[in-house]
Amino acid sequence: MSLLHATWLFPPEGSGGRLFLWADTWRVATPAVPKLEAPEHPLALNEDDLATWLDDNGLWSEALRPARATLTLPSRNQAAKGRRTSASSWSGLPLQAGEPIPKQLEWWPWQVEGWALDAANAGEWLSQVPLAGEHPEMADELRWWSHLQRWALSLIARGRWLPQIAEGKARWLPLLNREDDRRRLEDLASGLPQVATCALASGPSGDPSLACRRPGSGRLRVASLLEALLDGQLRAGFSASAGGLDPLLAAWQKALGKGDGSLNLDEEELERLSIATHHWREGVAGKVEPARTCLELFTPAEAEELWELRFGLQAEADPSLRVPAAAVWAAGDRGLQMGEVAVPQPSELLLEGMGRALTVFEPIVRGLDSATPETMQLTPAEAFVLVRTGAHQLRDVGVGVVLPASLAGGLASRLGLSITAELPEKSRGFTLGETLTWEWEFMIGGVTLTLRDLDRLETKRSPLVQHKGAWIELRPLDLKNANKFSGAKPGLSLDDALRLTASDGDTFHRLPVHRFDAGPRLQAVLEQYHQQKAPDPLPAPPGFSGQLRPYQERGLGWLAFLHRFDQGACLADDMGLGKTIQLLAFLQHLKAEDELKRPVLLVAPTSVLTNWKREAHGFTPELGVWEHYGPRRPSSPEALKKALKGVDLVLTSYGLLQRDSELLESIDWQGVVIDEAQAIKNHTAKQSQAARDLARPSRGGKGGSRFRIALTGTPVENRVSELWALMDFLNPKVLGDEPFFRQRYRLPIERYGDMSSLRDLKSRVGPFILRRLKTDKSIISDLPEKVELNEWVGLAPEQKKLYNKTVDESLDAIARAPLGQKHGQVLALLTKLKQICNHPALALKENAATVLASSNGSFSSRSGKLQRLEEILEEVIEAGDRALLFTQFAEWGLLLKAHLERKWRQEVPFLYGSTSKTERQAMVDRFQDDPRGPQLFLLSLKAGGVGLNLTRASHVFHIDRWWNPAVENQATDRAYRIGQQNRVLVHKFITSGSVEEKIDRMIKEKSKLAAEIVGSGEDWLGGFDVGQLKDLVALSEED
Amino acid sequence: MTLTPTTYASAINTQLGDQGLAQQPWWVEQWMELINSYRFKKRLERAWEYARSGNVTSIRFEGRRVHARVQGTDEEPYKVKLWLDVLHDDDWNYVLDALTQKARWSAQLLAGVMPQDIERAFAASGKRLFPFKLQEVRSECSCPDKANPCKHVSAVYYLMGDRFSEDPFVLFQMRGRTRAQLLADLAKRRRKVLARQARQAAAKQGSQPVAAVALQPVHPAIKDPNRWWHYGAALDSDLVVITPALEGDTGLDAAGPLPLAEEPRFPEANQHFLEHLKAHGQQLAAQAMAKAMGPANGDDS
Repeated sequence: MSLLHATWLFPPEGSGGRLFLWADTWRVATPAVPKLEAPEHPLALNEDDLATWLDDNGLWSEALRPARATLTLPSRNQAAKGRRTSASSWSGLPLQAGEPIPKQLEWWPWQVEGWALDAANAGEWLSQVPLAGEHPEMADELRWWSHLQRWALSLIARGRWLPQIAEGKARWLPLLNREDDRRRLEDLASGLPQVATCALASGPSGDPSLACRRPGSGRLRVASLLEALLDGQLRAGFSASAGGLDPLLAAWQKALGKGDGSLNLDEEELERLSIATHHWREGVAGKVEPARTCLELFTPAEAEELWELRFGLQAEADPSLRVPAAAVWAAGDRGLQMGEVAVPQPSELLLEGMGRALTVFEPIVRGLDSATPETMQLTPAEAFVLVRTGAHQLRDVGVGVVLPASLAGGLASRLGLSITAELPEKSRGFTLGETLTWEWEFMIGGVTLTLRDLDRLETKRSPLVQHKGAWIELRPLDLKNANKFSGAKPGLSLDDALRLTASDGDTFHRLPVHRFDAGPRLQAVLEQYHQQKAPDPLPAPPGFSGQLRPYQERGLGWLAFLHRFDQGACLADDMGLGKTIQLLAFLQHLKAEDELKRPVLLVAPTSVLTNWKREAHGFTPELGVWEHYGPRRPSSPEALKKALKGVDLVLTSYGLLQRDSELLESIDWQGVVIDEAQAIKNHTAKQSQAARDLARPSRGGKGGSRFRIALTGTPVENRVSELWALMDFLNPKVLGDEPFFRQRYRLPIERYGDMSSLRDLKSRVGPFILRRLKTDKSIISDLPEKVELNEWVGLAPEQKKLYNKTVDESLDAIARAPLGQKHGQVLALLTKLKQICNHPALALKENAATVLASSNGSFSSRSGKLQRLEEILEEVIEAGDRALLFTQFAEWGLLLKAHLERKWRQEVPFLYGSTSKTERQAMVDRFQDDPRGPQLFLLSLKAGGVGLNLTRASHVFHIDRWWNPAVENQATDRAYRIGQQNRVLVHKFITSGSVEEKIDRMIKEKSKLAAEIVGSGEDWLGGFDVGQLKDLVALSEED
Repeated sequence: MTLTPTTYASAINTQLGDQGLAQQPWWVEQWMELINSYRFKKRLERAWEYARSGNVTSIRFEGRRVHARVQGTDEEPYKVKLWLDVLHDDDWNYVLDALTQKARWSAQLLAGVMPQDIERAFAASGKRLFPFKLQEVRSECSCPDKANPCKHVSAVYYLMGDRFSEDPFVLFQMRGRTRAQLLADLAKRRRKVLARQARQAAAKQGSQPVAAVALQPVHPAIKDPNRWWHYGAALDSDLVVITPALEGDTGLDAAGPLPLAEEPRFPEANQHFLEHLKAHGQQLAAQAMAKAMGPANGDDS
């Protein structure tokens, strides 16, 4: 896959420049030997291919112009094939993003073809580059560029710019004096991916010289990029006004429009204009520097009246890094080192900032009478002005101000509450609405006070007052709120307590809660609820036949905990961690506690119903399980009620949930469980609506409460758009209604990647989602390095029909066949049946072209196994993992390749008998080494089962079964071997009731028969009658 | 220097438009006082007429002198030259010594503000920055008028006031040092003083002088080549919603009137120019907001 990059082309001198788009891709390339010129980047797309690529991806712009550039890239020293490396000749390849970094790294210039945009069009183009989200076709730095452009837009919207004369040219310059803009500059500079600025300064023809570009001071470079983008966009729409201007202004105005900013003025006039504009700007904003002047206010010492203001410097990169003026003066003519940055002229910087500080906060003038001032005194009135307005104005002109914490203006300096609460004596903490025993005090700036204290302080008639040793600011509005609060005497519920302790800055009756002390019993509930402490693990309940791993016991405890609170729970453990087992254990737990009185409905995709039945059978034999599925299912409420006698768990599919919704509504379910809960992600879809309706007792109100559990292996908490429907199923009130959710969370997060909204959202849904990963430290020790999973699947109607027909016809033929042909015919039958289990198209010898002629959905719907495979692969691809898929049928491999490539729009290589040796090596190399290589790799069991090293894969799929477990294990070991960094999940597909299940059983029982069947000997057929053969192949219908 | 209010001061006050003298920087006011202290009121009045009706066709600072052209009764404009006595290097040394005594002077000069008490620093040399009397402003005019200053020179005086508001450091230039030279000299001197203090302090403590700042450290991208490619940060929360400026809160508002002397022939040119910029800014701000709220690429909603 190709990866799009964007790099700025700085002009040889002056400012401005162009945005250069280029792309690299993975291919086999000969290491390059540099000559006098920088070598061509061997992995880059050429101009035409890039144009096509941009067009295909909707990124083409008519303003793009062909361009070349010389880029400095980290490169790998690598000998060209067939050449001996000598010390004098270097050869190598440029690295690509995401490629593992080799130990020995060198930086080399490479020439690249691409397309460029001038600054104005670059801004336009970058506005459409996504600000967030997964975009595998775009390199990281494109997001960096889109963030920079977003900032430029914000500066334009806020009018933070001023036209200037810079280096003799008319330019629109950004004003970066405000605190938040300065921080932004630091953030973008410290995050700058160097590739964004790795082009050598070059003229229009490109500079093929061998020099490398040093990674440079981020701050200045980013400021100049911002300048270029802003200038381009402000210039683009600017036209000269009607007139009435003197020649000087007229020339300036003209030069601010389209063009390179050159002014039609003689040198002296230019100088005059330049000085005047410089002077104009000076009072507003200084230059971009590594540090700024900083004023720090200290409260008066005991029994003193005057406040102290200390001078110093503050690092832009880290405002907590401060140097007092004394150290600045002491640095003399040497520079000053602040953290990682060097300040070359600290005293100049300090003085210049003090000069600007003077223009907005006049009292400072007294502090600057000596040659090297370090500190000064402020009167209480001056200190108040500084706290109230001065600090803000000073920050606006680029001077830092540090106030005492209790006055710093944050939430802590607002009047709020300190709360002490505990559960009432008899409560077990199970009901959200219940009222707590509680006390409160007012709190501000870290000290508590009573209403009487407030009244007393108010009489002092001074806005800054001292209380219990801390200086605080009293605001009229705060006092009003305080009075109102004491008058209202509100109660505090457990629900409130949960909310107030969930995140900082929550308010209670308009007052921020600064402190919340919970009594020991309430604390225990809160901690479990907020997942600071996991709920107590529960051991496997009596009647559960199986073992729970420690993390599964914790999962069971968590399900039981939320159940106690009547809260819906989403168990979102990674694939392979045993969600099914945990849910079955939970149901058995209810049963053992004698709490399971009514049936529980479990909705799952058709493809996993079989699996559920099998697992329930195995782990919880005491549970009465019943499948509401198939043409013979009950169709009236009465019949259904009758059928559910003695049944604890009802399995049904999403399709029937929708079709039989009225019927299912008629049952008083004790709980509803949805498996593969991503199925309800689309909140407008009917099945989603049906699931959410069923989550609440019917309107008649006669039913009891219903517990809700969702199971999914996808990282639900990261998929904002899908979260609402899920939470509406689980706990409808948590996220509000859909339009609110969309405005408050979905748009800010999806479109702009807003982290604060995301954090808030996560804290809201966090208590209801439990997701553990295979890689979690707490899980790793519980889990073997290789996890084998049996994927039980059923047959689609077409498969079933074909299977039965084949068995019937073949058994007759075999019975009549002469002995010499029997073995061959039996083998042919077994092969055909296995093919049917894979897909009817395989057995019917359809080819890839006809498959592709059908739609995605119709092809998968013909095979239960393929449906299940797709569901699991969806998760694999989503997680960015890689998988090996083994099959014994080359034809199936080809069909599957065509189908999967179409479905996921990515290449799926298939390695089998007819693959040439060089192709094999290329496939393996690409899978192992290409950072954006294919995620799925199909292999035939025979050709791919031995010898290869494919440790990039962490999933192995055995799509069909082989008689000999050793062969399967050998194939598994392509991934599970030295060099594997992750746990390997091995998925073995078994079509239930079919010959595959029998084979599986034989393998497990280490049956001799399995070995004999694959062996070429015909002895076994002697004692093998058609009856036994029928047992082996015929579909066993259960229930 | 005492203020002598005259009718002209108020005349200028109104003529200068809405700005008003009170909003002029103090050094411009001081200059105006100087002019208005001139005894020949009649001539001043005519000079003001000249200045106002655009007879001064050019003013240029060439080195330490001001060259101007004033259209008089003659066909050819008269050539006017103005200059001040230049301070000698010795004098400047005294001034610089004095300037380093008070951090505020350096601070203001660095921030582009002319300190109001700058004369106190010059007093150290026994010299002045501002001329005390009009006679100290040397002038020449090519007109036949014997009186000095003639009305042409006086007309230039008026306009010089505006030029001072463009760049107060023009005065330094006329006294022999440009602002850049002055700041550089000042920095050099201050560093010398600071270095001496540091040495003394170190000697007192008996400690070793601190080693000079280390060579530029290796860039983190060299140490960690992943930084060549990787960018993992999320969009700044404050940029999620792009907001317009509050009323009167743009950069143009903060910077205020353009400190560029207006040519009388183009009255209110500065004003026109700024209004045009403001209109352009508002239009682009609206466009930027629309762009920021518009659907991004790959956005499915």
